[in-house]
Amino acid sequence: MFLEQLTGNLIQGIVLGAVYGMATMGLSLIFGVLKVVNVGHGAFIMVGAFVTLWLFNALGINPILAVPVAFAVGMGLGFIFYYTTMQRLIKAPELATLLATFSIGILLEELVKLTFGSEFRGYNWVVGKIDIGVTVLPMSKLYACIGSVIIALLLYLWFNKTRAGSAVRSVVEDSEGARVCGVNVGGAYALSFALGIGLTVASGVLLTMFIPVGINPYMGGGYTLKAFVIAVLGGLSSPYGAFFGGLAFGLIENGSYTLFALIPGVEPFALTRFLSFVMLLAILLIKPTGLLSTK
Amino acid sequence: MSLLKLENITKRFGGLIAVNKVSLEISKGEFVGIVGPNGSGKTTLFNVISGVYFPEEGRVIFDGQDITTLQPYKRAPLGIGRTFQIPRPFASATVRENVAVGAMFGTLSGKVSVDESLEIADKTIERVRLQEHKDKPAGALTPVEKKLMEIARALAMKPKLLLMDEAMAGMHPNDIDQMVAFIKQIAVEEKIAIVSMVEHIMRAVVGMAEKVIVLHQGSKIVDAPTKEALEDPKVVEVYLGHPPEE
Amino acid sequence: MKKEITKYYPLIPVFTAYLFLFLVGKNISGMWQLVAMLLFYCAMGQAFNIFLGMTGYVDFGYVAFMGVGTYGMALAITNLAHIEGLGIGIIIIGFILALLMSTLLSMAVGAVALRLRGAYFAIATIGVNEGFRFLIEGARIWNGSEGLIFTAQLNQILGREAASSLMTYWADIMVLFIAALAAFVTLFYMRSKIGYALTALREDEDAAKVMGINVTKYKITAFITSACFAGLVGATSWALKTPYVFPPEVFEIHYTIEAIIIVLLGGAGTLLGPVVGGLIYGISKYYLSIFMPGFQLLIFAPIIIIIIVLFPEGVVGMLKSRTKGSVLARFII
Ligand SMILES: Nc1ncnc2c1ncn2[C@@H]1O[C@H](COP(=O)(O)OP(=O)(O)OP(=O)(O)O)[C@@H](O)[C@H]1O
Ligand SMILES: [Mg+2]
Repeated sequence: MFLEQLTGNLIQGIVLGAVYGMATMGLSLIFGVLKVVNVGHGAFIMVGAFVTLWLFNALGINPILAVPVAFAVGMGLGFIFYYTTMQRLIKAPELATLLATFSIGILLEELVKLTFGSEFRGYNWVVGKIDIGVTVLPMSKLYACIGSVIIALLLYLWFNKTRAGSAVRSVVEDSEGARVCGVNVGGAYALSFALGIGLTVASGVLLTMFIPVGINPYMGGGYTLKAFVIAVLGGLSSPYGAFFGGLAFGLIENGSYTLFALIPGVEPFALTRFLSFVMLLAILLIKPTGLLSTK
Repeated sequence: MSLLKLENITKRFGGLIAVNKVSLEISKGEFVGIVGPNGSGKTTLFNVISGVYFPEEGRVIFDGQDITTLQPYKRAPLGIGRTFQIPRPFASATVRENVAVGAMFGTLSGKVSVDESLEIADKTIERVRLQEHKDKPAGALTPVEKKLMEIARALAMKPKLLLMDEAMAGMHPNDIDQMVAFIKQIAVEEKIAIVSMVEHIMRAVVGMAEKVIVLHQGSKIVDAPTKEALEDPKVVEVYLGHPPEE
Repeated sequence: MKKEITKYYPLIPVFTAYLFLFLVGKNISGMWQLVAMLLFYCAMGQAFNIFLGMTGYVDFGYVAFMGVGTYGMALAITNLAHIEGLGIGIIIIGFILALLMSTLLSMAVGAVALRLRGAYFAIATIGVNEGFRFLIEGARIWNGSEGLIFTAQLNQILGREAASSLMTYWADIMVLFIAALAAFVTLFYMRSKIGYALTALREDEDAAKVMGINVTKYKITAFITSACFAGLVGATSWALKTPYVFPPEVFEIHYTIEAIIIVLLGGAGTLLGPVVGGLIYGISKYYLSIFMPGFQLLIFAPIIIIIIVLFPEGVVGMLKSRTKGSVLARFII
C-alpha cells in the first residue's frame, strides 16, 4: 500500500520534474553565458502563468498555444531588460547584477499585481486524466511534461545546429576567444538573455498545469528557490544539466513529501520546502560546480 | 640554503599543461629573470608560488618550509610579495590605503598597527614617487601608476621574495632603467628582498637579472647566468628568431 | 590622543541626525510614530551595511537574523514570565538570547555560505529565511505556524502601564541606541584592520588573500556582527513593540529588500549612508502609503535599478566625492 503510494508519487515527481527542469534551463543559460544570476527568475515564471491565465480566461485560448505566446513575450522582456539594464552592468561588481535582477523581479510582480490584483486565481482546462494503476495523471500534466521535453530538445538542436547557437556556445566556452574569431559577443549576450527569459516565461505556462488555482503575482518566490536548487544540482551553467537536475528534484520533492507525511505531528509540505533549502546548502558545500556535472 | 625551491611542479588546467615538471632554486638576495613567450606558464608559476593555485604535482619549499598547499594568506607573511600582470588594485581605496594593506597583513610579525602601516605606506609611496597620488583612489591611476602602486604595496610587506609579473610592461625605456636601478637599490638595502621577475622586456632582464630561467610551453628549457642564457640557441629559437635586443 | 578623537568625527553627523529625530518625535505631537519607523529603518540599514556595504556580498536571507532575534526575545518572555521579581531583567535576558540565537544562526549559515564566492553566496542565502520559517512551521518548533503571543506575560511581569510605555516609547529609544551602537561599531571597524581587510576583499578577494588577508575570518566577523545587530533590531522593533511573533511575518523577504534599498540609496559601505537611506526611504514610504497605498514597491523597484545603473555610490558616496579635500570630508564617510 505504502509502496504503491510512493511509486505513484515518484511518477508524479518525474512528470513534474521534467517541467521543473525546463523551468530552470533559462536560469542556467543566462548564468552560463553572462555569468549573471537571475534572482528575479521566479517572477518571469509568474509572468508566464498570467499570460496563460489571460489567454485562457479572456480569449479562450488553449494553454498549449500559450506556450509560444509566452515565449515571445519573454524574449521581448528579455531584450528590453538586457538593453536598458543588464548591458550596462556586465562589467560591474556582482552585487550590481544580483540586485538589478532582483529588482526587475519585484517590478514585474508589482506591475502584475497592479493589473490583475493579488488574489489567487486559476483556470479550468478540462482534458481528462489517465489512470495508470498506482496513480492518476491528469492529461494536462502529461502535456506539460511532454512539452518540456520537446522544448529541451529544440534548445539542444538550436545550440548544435544553428549559427546563432554555436556562436552562443563559443561565448560560453571562451568569450575573449570568440570575440577574436569575429563573434558578436554583445549580440550573443543579448540573445542568450532574451532566450533565457523566453524559456522561463514559457515554462510558467507549463507550470500552471500543476497549480490549478495557485496563480498569483507572488507565486514566483518559491520557484526561484527551487530553480536555484535544481540549477546547482545540474552545475549552474548548463541548461541540460538543469533539465536533469529538475528530474532529480521532482523525484526528491515528491519522495520526501511521502516520507515526511509518515512522521506524526509535522507539516510535511513545510518540511519539503525546508529540505530543498538544506539541499541547496549541502550541494553548494560539497560540490559548487554541481552534483550532476562532470567538471 | 636556497630561499625558494620548486620541485617538479606541474599545474594543469583541464587538458592543458600550463607548467610542466618545473624545478628551480632561488637563493637569498638573488636577482632572477623568468622569461618565455606568451602562454609559456610564467604567470601560472607565480600563481603556484603565491598560492593562488595549488600544483597537481611537485612541492614548493620556501625558507625551508613546505608550503605546497599552504593558504595564500599564510604565505604572504612568510615573505612572499607579488605584483600582478594585470594590476589588481583595491580600486575604491586610496593609494595610501592600498599600500598600508600590504604592511598591515603581509608582514611577518603580523602585529603592525593601522597607524604604523599608514606611516610605512607614506614612506614606501615616496620611494616609488607616487606621493602626489597618495590620496587618489587606486582605481583612478594610470596603468603604469597602478603597477608602481603594486610594487609599493608588495614592498610594504617587507618581502624576502618579491615576484614582479611584467611590472614594467608599458613603461617608457628611460623609466624602465630608473625603475630597475630603484628596485636593485631597495633589494640591496633591505637585504631581505629577492627580486624575481617575469619580463618580456629584455632591457629590464638584462639590466637586472643575475640568472635567467626560460620557460617554453610550460617547461623549463634554460636556467643559466643571464648572458649565457640569452645567447643560448634554444632561447633564440623560442623567440622565433628574434634575438634579444641590445 | 587628539588624533584618536578626530578619528571619530564622522559620528557627529550620524548622532546629530538621531538626536534630531528624537527631538522631533518628542516635541512635535503626532510625530512619534513616524520617528519610530525611521529609527527602525536607520537601525536596520546600519546593521545590514556592516555586511552588505563593507564586504560587497549580498545576503538575501538577511531577515532571518531579525526573525530569530524576535524569537529570542519572545521565548525569554513566554518561558520566564512566571518567575517572580524578574521585572525588567527579563528583557535583558531576552536580548542575550536574541544575540545568542542570531550569532548561532549566522555562524551556521556563514560556515557554509561564506566558503562560497559572489553569486554562489547569494544563491546559498536566498533560502535561509524561508528555510528557517519552514523548519519552524514544519517541525512545529516554538509553537510552529501558530506563533507566540506574549502580551499577557509582558503585562504580568512589568505591569500594564510599564508594558504599554515599553511598547510605545521605550522600545523605540532602545532602537535608537542600537542604531547608534551599530554606527559606532561600523566606524570602529572602518578605522581598524578589519575595515582595511574588508575593503580589500570587497574590491578583489584573490588579491587580498595574496596580500596576507585571511578573508574568511574577516567575512565571518562582519557577517556575525551584522547578524547580531539584526537580532537586536528584531528583538526590539518587533518583539517588544508588538508582543507577538508569527513565522511568515518575521521571515518575510520584504524586509531584506527594504534593507538593501536603504543601504544602496544611502551609499553602501559608508557610515552615514544608512541614516540618509533610512530617512529617505522611511519618509517616502510613509507618505506613499498615505497617498498611494500599495504602490511602494512598484515605485522603489525601478529606483533601485536606476541607482545601480546610474548612481552606484549612493547619496553619501556622491557627497563624499564632492566634499573631497574640504573640511567636510572629515565628517562624511
Ligand atoms: N585560470 C586558468 N584557466 C585555464 N587556463 C589557464 C588559466 N591560467 C592560465 N591558463 C593557461 O595556461 C597557459 C600559461 O599561461 P600563463 O598566463 O602562465 O602564461 P604567461 O607565460 O604568463 O603568458 P603571458 O606572457 O601572456 O603573460 C596559457 O595557455 C593559459 O591560457
Ligand atoms: Mg603572464
